[in-house]
Amino acid sequence: MISITNLILVFLFGSLISYLLTKANKVLGSIFNFLLSFYALYYVWNIEVGHYEKLFNIFPNIENSLKVTYLGKFFAIISLIVISLVSFFIIEWIRKKPSRPAAFNAFILIMIAGVIGVFFSNDLLTLYVFWEIAVLGSFLIVPMGKEESKKAAVIYAVTSAIGSYMYLFATFSIYSKYGVLSFDKVSSYLLNEPSNLFKWFVILFIASAGIAKSGIFPLHTWLRITHGNAPDAFSAILSGQLVKMGSYVLAISLSVFPSTMLFNAFYHGVPLINYLLIWLGNISIIIGTFMAIRQNDMKQLIAYSSIANGGYILVGLGVMNSIGYAGGLFHVFNHAIAAAMIFLSFAAVVYRTGTTKIDEMGGLIWRMPWTFVTYLVGIISLAGIPPTSGFISKWMIFNALLTKGMFITLAITFIGSVGSFLYVFRPLAGVFLGQLKKKHYEVKEVSPIMLIPMLILVTLTVFIGIYPKPVLDLIASIERNIGIKPIEYSGTIIKTSLGQWNTLTVFTMFATGFIIALILHLIFPKGKKVELTDQYTGGDYLYNYDLYHYATGFYKFIERLYDKHPSFEKLYNMLASFFKSMGEIVNGIIYKVSPSGYVFWISIVILILFWVRW
Amino acid sequence: MTILKVAAVLLTGFFFGLTLEGISRKVMARIQRRYGPPWYQNFLDVFKALSKIGISHGWIFDFGILMALGGVIATLAFVPLGNLVAFPGLDNLFIIVYLFAVGALGMAMGMVGSGNPNASIGVARALTQMLGYEIPYMISVAAVMYYYKTASVSTLMLSQQDKWTLFKMPIGGIVAFISLLGMLGKKPFDTPIAPAEIASGPMVELSAKYMGLLMLMHTFSIFVEVGLFVDIFLGVSNYWTFLLKFTVVWIFATLISSVLPRFRIEQVVKFYWKVPLSLAFIQALFVLIGWVF
Repeated sequence: MISITNLILVFLFGSLISYLLTKANKVLGSIFNFLLSFYALYYVWNIEVGHYEKLFNIFPNIENSLKVTYLGKFFAIISLIVISLVSFFIIEWIRKKPSRPAAFNAFILIMIAGVIGVFFSNDLLTLYVFWEIAVLGSFLIVPMGKEESKKAAVIYAVTSAIGSYMYLFATFSIYSKYGVLSFDKVSSYLLNEPSNLFKWFVILFIASAGIAKSGIFPLHTWLRITHGNAPDAFSAILSGQLVKMGSYVLAISLSVFPSTMLFNAFYHGVPLINYLLIWLGNISIIIGTFMAIRQNDMKQLIAYSSIANGGYILVGLGVMNSIGYAGGLFHVFNHAIAAAMIFLSFAAVVYRTGTTKIDEMGGLIWRMPWTFVTYLVGIISLAGIPPTSGFISKWMIFNALLTKGMFITLAITFIGSVGSFLYVFRPLAGVFLGQLKKKHYEVKEVSPIMLIPMLILVTLTVFIGIYPKPVLDLIASIERNIGIKPIEYSGTIIKTSLGQWNTLTVFTMFATGFIIALILHLIFPKGKKVELTDQYTGGDYLYNYDLYHYATGFYKFIERLYDKHPSFEKLYNMLASFFKSMGEIVNGIIYKVSPSGYVFWISIVILILFWVRW
Repeated sequence: MTILKVAAVLLTGFFFGLTLEGISRKVMARIQRRYGPPWYQNFLDVFKALSKIGISHGWIFDFGILMALGGVIATLAFVPLGNLVAFPGLDNLFIIVYLFAVGALGMAMGMVGSGNPNASIGVARALTQMLGYEIPYMISVAAVMYYYKTASVSTLMLSQQDKWTLFKMPIGGIVAFISLLGMLGKKPFDTPIAPAEIASGPMVELSAKYMGLLMLMHTFSIFVEVGLFVDIFLGVSNYWTFLLKFTVVWIFATLISSVLPRFRIEQVVKFYWKVPLSLAFIQALFVLIGWVF
C-alpha cells in the first residue's frame, strides 16, 4: 500500500490527468474520477489506526505530519463513501451538466485531496493547509451551476474564510505561546494553562471554523445560497460531505481538546463553553427548520435542513457524555447518507425536468418511481423515523439531553424533529405526488448508472438502521480513544441509563405489521383503478388538471405566524452594502484618473513610513 | 410467547377499540339529544366498508395505506396494556412515538397520492397540528422520564406504586391530556378533518376497502395514544384495570370534544405553544428543583 502522502499526491496529479481525459471524453474522465475515489475509499477502509507520516516543516522545530486517528478514519470513511457514490452518479450526469466538465472533474479531485488531508492531519497547521485546498477545490466548482452561482461562490468563500482565519489566528496564538502545534501536545499544554480567557479564546476560535463550515448560526446563511445554486450532483457532496468537515473540527475543538476537563462544569457536568455552542446549535435548528418550511425551491429547502442537522450534530457533540457524543457522531453518518440520497434524487429530477421549483412539478412518481423511492427513504432517515438509521442518532441525542435535564434544548430538538416531517413532506407532495403536469408527460426515469448509487445509499441506511453495529463499533473505539465512556450495545440492542431498544425487533415488528396490512389488503375485494383526474371536486367542473395540484403555499397557514421574522441574511446584506458605500467614498477620495494623484498618495505613504520607522 | 402476546395486544385493540368507539358515538349522541347508533355500529361499518369494491388511485395510494396500517400495528405492539407487555424492556417511549410517525407518514403519502387538493390541505394541517401538540406532550413526558430515570413505558407504569404520576405532577398530566385531545383529533382540534371546510381532508378520496383499513388504523392509533397516557400517568394497572382507565379517559375526551367548536389551524399551533408548552416547562422546572408531590 502507498502512503497517505502519496495518495494525496495521486489525487493532485490525477486532477491534471482527469482534466485532459475529460477534455477528450467526458464519460472517460468521470470514470477515472470514480475509480480514483473508490480506491481512496478502499485505502481508507483498510488503513491502520496510529499510522504516522512526516510531511513538511513550515515553522522551525515543528514537524507537520499526518496521523490516522479513530476520529479521522470515521469521518474519512463516511466522506469517501459519499464522494465515491456521487462520482459514480456523475459518470452519467456529466453528459448534460455542468458548464465546464473538465474543470469540474479536476477540481473534484483537488477537493478530495484536501479532504483526505484534513481528516488525517496531526496538527493544527497541516489541517489548515488541507482545509484551504478542499475549500479551493469546492469553491471553484460552485459557479458552474446556475446563473447566480458566481455570487454564491463568493459568499461561500467569504464565510469559509471568516471561520478559517479565526482558526488560523488561534493556531498562531498557540504557536507563539507554547511553540507546539500537534493535537496531543496542544491539548496537554492547554490542560495546564492557568488563564481561562486564553482557553476560551482558543476553543471558540478553533470551533468557529467548524461553525462556518457546518452552517451553524450565525454563519449559516451561505448554505442556502451555495447549496441551492451549486451544480446539482455537487450539492450532494457539499451537504453530504464538505459540511461534515465542519463537524470534524467541532469534534476536535470539543473532544480532542477535552472541554469537560479544561473547564469547570456549569450545568449537569456540561461546561459553559459547551453550553454556549449547544445554544448556537439550538438556534440553528430553529432557523433551519422554520426557514425550510417556507422554501419553494427544493434544493434550498434541503440546504436549510442541513443547517438544522448541523445543529443536531453540534448539540450531540456538545453534551460530551457517552451517549450524546455517540449520537452526534452517528448523526454525522446519517445526515451524510440522507443528504446525499436526497440531493442525488433531486439531481435526477433536475436532470430530467430542468427545474428546482416545487410548484412547477408534480406527479413525477409515475415517471420516476426509483428516484421517488430514494427520496422517500432519504426523508424517512432525515426525519429520524425507524427502521432507517436516522432514528438511532436522534434517539441517542434525545436520551443524552434527557439524562442531563436540558429541557429547553430537548424541546428545540423536538421542534426540529417534528418540523422535519413538515418540510420533507413538501417536496414529496409537490414534486412526486399529485397530478403530472402536461409538460412532463414525456419524462423518463434516469438511467441505471444514476440509479445504482442512489439505491446503494438506500440499502446502506436501511441496513445500518437494522444492524447498526459497524458504525457503533467505530464510534465506541473513538470514544475509548478520546477518553469518554464508550457507548453500550450488544448485538442489535443499544443501551443507555434510561433504557434500551432493539433495532432488529423494531424492524421485525414493522415488517409484521406491514404483512398483516398486506394480507388484509389482499383478501378483500380489489379496488378499481381510476386516473388521478377522476376526483371528488364538490361539484366543480375541472378543465385544467395542471392547476389542480396543491403545491404553492403548502404551509401558508403556519408561515403566516412568522412572516416578519428577523433575518441575519438581511443584516449581512446591510453590512455588505455599508462596506460597499464606504469603499465608494474611499475610492472617490483616493482614486484619481491622473498619475499625479497617485504620486501624491505614494509620497504621503512614504512620508508616514519614514516617520513611523517601520 | 411473544407472538401470542402481540396477537393479544392487537386483538384487544381491534375488539375493545371498535366497541369503545361505538359507545362514544352513543355518548355523544346523548349529549346532543339524539338516540345514536348501537354500540356495535363500528364493527358493521368496518366490515361493510371492507367488503365493497372501491376505487384506487394507483400504487402509491395502496402502498400509503399499507404503510399507515402496518406502522400503527407495529407501534401498538410496543405499547404495554397494563401488565400485558409484548416486548418487556424494549418498550422505549421514543420508539413508540417515532414508530407512530411511520403510520402518519404513510397515511399522508397515500392520501396526497390520491391527487385531491382537499387531501393535501388536510395532510398539511395534520402535520402542522402535530408540530403543535407534540412539543408540549414530549416535554411533559420528558419531565416524567427524567424524574423516574427511565424511558421504558412499563417501568414508568410500575414506578407509580405509591402514587399516580397524575397526582405527583398534575400540571404535566393536564398538558399531556390537552395534547392527547390534539393527537386524537378531537374537537377543538379536529382541523385536519374539518368535514364542512375541506370535505374530510385526507379521507376525501377513500372508499370501500381503503376506508375500512384506515378505520382500523384509526382505532389502533387511538389505542396507542390513550394507552400511553394511561400507562404513564394513571398508576399501576393490570390488563383489566388498564381497560377500565382507558374507557374513562376516552369517554372523558369524548365528553369534552362534543361540546366544543373548532379552532383554526394557526390558532391550534399558537394555543399549544403558548399555554400547554409554558405549563410543560413549569412542570419540568418543578421536577428539576424537586417539587414533586
